[in-house]
Amino acid sequence: MLSKGAAKKVTIYLNEDTQRHLGPLYESILSFLMNKGVAGATATRALAGFGAHRELHTPKIEVLAEHLPIRIEFIETAEKVDEILPTLYDMVTDGLIEVQDTNVVKIAMKEKRAAAAAEPHTRKAGTAKLMRIFLGEADRWHGEPLYEAIVKQLRMMEIAGATVYRGILGYGAKGHTHKQSFFHVVRDMPIMISVVESEEKLTPAASMVEGMIQDGLIVISEVEIVRLANSIPPEEDAIARIPGR
Amino acid sequence: MPEYQAAKLLRLHFTERDRFHGKPLYEAIVEKCRELNIAGATVFRGLEGYGDTAEIHRSHVIRHDLPILVQIVDSAENIGRLLPVVEAMMDKGLIAISEVTTRRIQKADESSA
Repeated sequence: MLSKGAAKKVTIYLNEDTQRHLGPLYESILSFLMNKGVAGATATRALAGFGAHRELHTPKIEVLAEHLPIRIEFIETAEKVDEILPTLYDMVTDGLIEVQDTNVVKIAMKEKRAAAAAEPHTRKAGTAKLMRIFLGEADRWHGEPLYEAIVKQLRMMEIAGATVYRGILGYGAKGHTHKQSFFHVVRDMPIMISVVESEEKLTPAASMVEGMIQDGLIVISEVEIVRLANSIPPEEDAIARIPGR
Repeated sequence: MPEYQAAKLLRLHFTERDRFHGKPLYEAIVEKCRELNIAGATVFRGLEGYGDTAEIHRSHVIRHDLPILVQIVDSAENIGRLLPVVEAMMDKGLIAISEVTTRRIQKADESSA
């Protein structure tokens, strides 16, 4: 099962007219990959190109247009790639196979999420950590509000949840009082982000936040959680929780 | 997390209507915190809530009476110094103290683009 993190990307270059068992080679490669349960594969027809035969394949000349290059790409775990590579090696009679290390950032599956919502709820209790991050509303991160940037980053780290609160009055890091006033155009109210997660997931999140904020406070406390959660097996949970935007 | 230090988190719950010498209690408490050199204080306004008076506090056309939460983070010693003062200022409400670990972040301003 492909998940976030290190993976392998395999690229196969071949010709549109290369045959295997009376059909195009790219079609038999794709069906082979599908039968092997590969997460996904894409075949694209190139605009133009040349390869080992030193012949420029281009759609401009009719005779050569039948030999356009095809590129098949798929991303899988290292074990899976090791498993199917010998067969691919055998199948590609004319072309090139390339394997490179890659990093999967996001895998989202919409249908799976909808199905998970119908599952009954279970109670999960235990201890966790609560992190409160104090910052200012006017703090920016590459042009966007810092609190938004932090929430986005937390989401990418698959942190269970984060809530942003806006205070109505306060002082702290900057030494000045944040107060809403009729005459103030720029709002700089105090912001607090609260995050509840297990200790092992919160520790990297805290250091990520430390790197992002210029001036602020991070407060961590022990909490007990009583949560109502969908009974999704842990490995699918990670995928199902990422909504397609 | 070696750079985190133990501290106390003080949470004061009362309502927007509570006053101290004519001004809103939350403003008076924040001013008092500054006076006592407490590291920081933040006031949050809730959307709806209820407390020991069993009266639901929510926004109303003529009467603003929303729940207020004041959060203060400082060393145990400073919180101890603040606590009796705040207790005297609050007529009714709730005070909650929890043990926390904190890290104060203050970087040079060069890369804050």
